[in-house]
Amino acid sequence: MSMAGRSALHPNRGKITNWSGSLTFRPRYLERPRNEEELCAVVRAAARKGLKVRPVAARHSSSPIIATDDVAVSAEHFTGLIEHDTEERWATVGAGTSLEEAGRALREVGLATHNLGDVNVQTVTGAVSTCTHGSGRRLTNLATMLIGGRMVTADGDAIELEHTPDMLHAARGSMGTLGIFTQVKLRLLPRYRLRRREWCTTLRECIDRIEELSEGSRNFDLYWYPRSDRVKLRTLDPPGEGPESIPGARLVLDKEGWSDEVLSRQRVLRFDEMEYAMPIGRGMECFQEVRERIMERHRRTVGWRVLYRFVAADDAYLSTAHGRDTVTISLHQNNTLDFAGYFDDIEPIFRTHGGRPHWAKKHGLGAEELALLYPKWRAFQRVRRRMDPDGLFLSPPMERLLEGP
Amino acid sequence: MKALGHRTWAVPGGRVPERSTGAEPEQTSHDLLCLLNTGPKDAAVSIWVFYEHREPVGPYPLTVAARRVRHVRLNDLIDPEAVPLGMEYGLVVRSDVPVVVQFWRQDTERGKAIATTAAVPLD
Repeated sequence: MSMAGRSALHPNRGKITNWSGSLTFRPRYLERPRNEEELCAVVRAAARKGLKVRPVAARHSSSPIIATDDVAVSAEHFTGLIEHDTEERWATVGAGTSLEEAGRALREVGLATHNLGDVNVQTVTGAVSTCTHGSGRRLTNLATMLIGGRMVTADGDAIELEHTPDMLHAARGSMGTLGIFTQVKLRLLPRYRLRRREWCTTLRECIDRIEELSEGSRNFDLYWYPRSDRVKLRTLDPPGEGPESIPGARLVLDKEGWSDEVLSRQRVLRFDEMEYAMPIGRGMECFQEVRERIMERHRRTVGWRVLYRFVAADDAYLSTAHGRDTVTISLHQNNTLDFAGYFDDIEPIFRTHGGRPHWAKKHGLGAEELALLYPKWRAFQRVRRRMDPDGLFLSPPMERLLEGP
Repeated sequence: MKALGHRTWAVPGGRVPERSTGAEPEQTSHDLLCLLNTGPKDAAVSIWVFYEHREPVGPYPLTVAARRVRHVRLNDLIDPEAVPLGMEYGLVVRSDVPVVVQFWRQDTERGKAIATTAAVPLD
């Protein structure tokens, strides 16, 4: 039977909850298309009914970019390695492939992503679409891997992503607003091994060496523990490289493996998170203000650490590191405890330092404020409006984010 | 040496002081749980935290290696959630092998004060 002969939309009664549990929504339709033809039919049917469509990916986001009351689309049937060229260092994977699955599959054909975040449960497309990142002075976010792919547009057509700089700059970090990816083509590295080491120390022992330490390792970040002023430093380097020791720090973990095995760690404990990206020159000043505020007001209820990372500049229109080398500062709170009072109190400090919020984490900004933070905001909007003139992919939260009240 | 102690312990008098004075982490006010495992097997320990006005929270899972001692600051526990500072609580500690439990508090809010007591064995 052809898709035109039956309804392409499947009523849904269940609710969808994100990874942390802080975001719940109940879409009228939940779709799990098995191929591009079915996805095209879903998009056309939604357009006919005047419904909004949002991709839901791995639901790791704690901002409402995945939320919709209308049509939620899962890419769970678009998975796996589709095509690759080890010599040319690229591969195409299904849009619903998780970073963990992609890492394994790429390694088997001699390839690897240039970096990974602290967790790898997100889909590749989710990471590419939200500028998810790891840490490293010379390492860009994961969105910069995107060099092509296929998507179903608001017209309900399956297309190859245009290979123009304008389109690629817009598509990296586009949050599913240009179309719904079915495949993503990624620029990669030959597979590589890393030695991961974790070091415990105190803030006063390492604070003056952060610049030097971050320059001295391929990947470097630090966790600050608000209830003790202790710090954990994490360094990842090619075997044989990186610091022999760190004065005043105790080595507590030392292991080597393929990059996808050691860059991310398994996180069972669930949390909510706010993260802002500041110009690198403002990072430490901002961190010190955040630290003082937490010590003064929030230690009573906040035991989770604060994460300080580095991301190299790129030119994606909505990249949180657009045009500037960046430091990111992340707040975490147990998902069973109140996060709003904590995050709301710290957010103005981030903003004072020119911070841009992570698209997939908690923040309170709308289009009016965000437009001022992104020099290429209008360029992105031009592409988005051309791809989706009727706002099919603009759910109310996305409209607030990109168009304003 | 054989495993000394008990499998269930209680500490009714918990309250992590909210404020600290002096250089941290050395002078951070804290409650500390001291766990001694003298036996030949690792101890799988779970802690439940009881409060005045809400349901208990736990288990907080910990391992104390065979023939080792482990000191755990209540301030640092976050799994499953952070223990609030400045709030009265009590603890129940359960272990799959006998252990010895002691409780310690450092309060530097107004000068340094140390208090320590044995936990109450219950089995």
